[in-house]
Amino acid sequence: MAITSHDPIPTSQLDGAVKDYSRDKVYVLTALFLAALTVIEIMTYAFPDFPVWSGNLVIAVLMILMAIKFFTVVYIFMHLRFDKPILTWIFWAGVTLAAGVYLVALCTFRIFWPGHHG
Amino acid sequence: MANAVQTHESVAAADAHAPHAHIDHDTNTGISNTKLGMWLFLASECLLFGGLITTYLLYKHPLEGPTPKEIFDIPFTSTSSFVLLMSSLTMVLAVSAIERGDHQRLRIWLGATALLGATFISGQIYEFTVFVREGLGFTTSRFSSAFYTLTGFHGVHVTVGIIMLMSLVLLSLRGKLPEHRAETVEIIGLYWHFVDVVWIFIFAVVYLIP
Repeated sequence: MAITSHDPIPTSQLDGAVKDYSRDKVYVLTALFLAALTVIEIMTYAFPDFPVWSGNLVIAVLMILMAIKFFTVVYIFMHLRFDKPILTWIFWAGVTLAAGVYLVALCTFRIFWPGHHG
Repeated sequence: MANAVQTHESVAAADAHAPHAHIDHDTNTGISNTKLGMWLFLASECLLFGGLITTYLLYKHPLEGPTPKEIFDIPFTSTSSFVLLMSSLTMVLAVSAIERGDHQRLRIWLGATALLGATFISGQIYEFTVFVREGLGFTTSRFSSAFYTLTGFHGVHVTVGIIMLMSLVLLSLRGKLPEHRAETVEIIGLYWHFVDVVWIFIFAVVYLIP
């Protein structure tokens, strides 16, 4: 049977590099890692007195966990790690601009000052 | 026909031997304009959601009405967050499926992603309904306005994503999504993952940080 441009390529006709496709395994392991981090995040709520994140430490712990999850999704699921560097520059330009502008805005309203309640 | 077979073979060969299945395009950057456009759009979306999150942080202490601590149901939102996180896995598996020409799995993973997204949206609608019943309307306080605007905007993004995913399923069923158009799935996948990334931020900042 002739193959047309609209037909799928049968997996059997592809060579091993595609057939094995070990990236799927990486994706599943990444998802499990993200799920584990989410469980830790939820534990900060369920067990607020746990020494690692007691008191104001919880903010730092949650921010670190959030940053790890953010980087993992962006670099592995969004393929930024495997793609052209220009895409990394474009995305980080947006993130950095947003973070800079809004941190200044929050500082203008003295949100990080002690006793701030909006 | 010979050209079509050639196209297939070259795409398959490129996919098989390229370490990460990203084929160079005939543009100055080597990236297709659509993909470049999507990344630029996502960069601009950082500013949109950054603005909404900043507004929420400024207004999170309500002067009247229920407080976040009184109203949030963390176990329920955690489950929703987990569902959205897992939809990123099914999305990336869909991209992987089309790159190796497995159209049946592509449709299964796209359908699963849309279903998980719909579950998340259903949870959000339920959450909003409960909040309104408990006296937290859109105009109840500055906190409620900022909260509903932020999470509502995110919900709209998820809904748009579901529509795009279902469109891909329909295109695939009609045979209009051959593997040399895998990048279409990848680009919609980028949007979906970004929506997930934004929720990772919202979940921590809005719901978990006291």
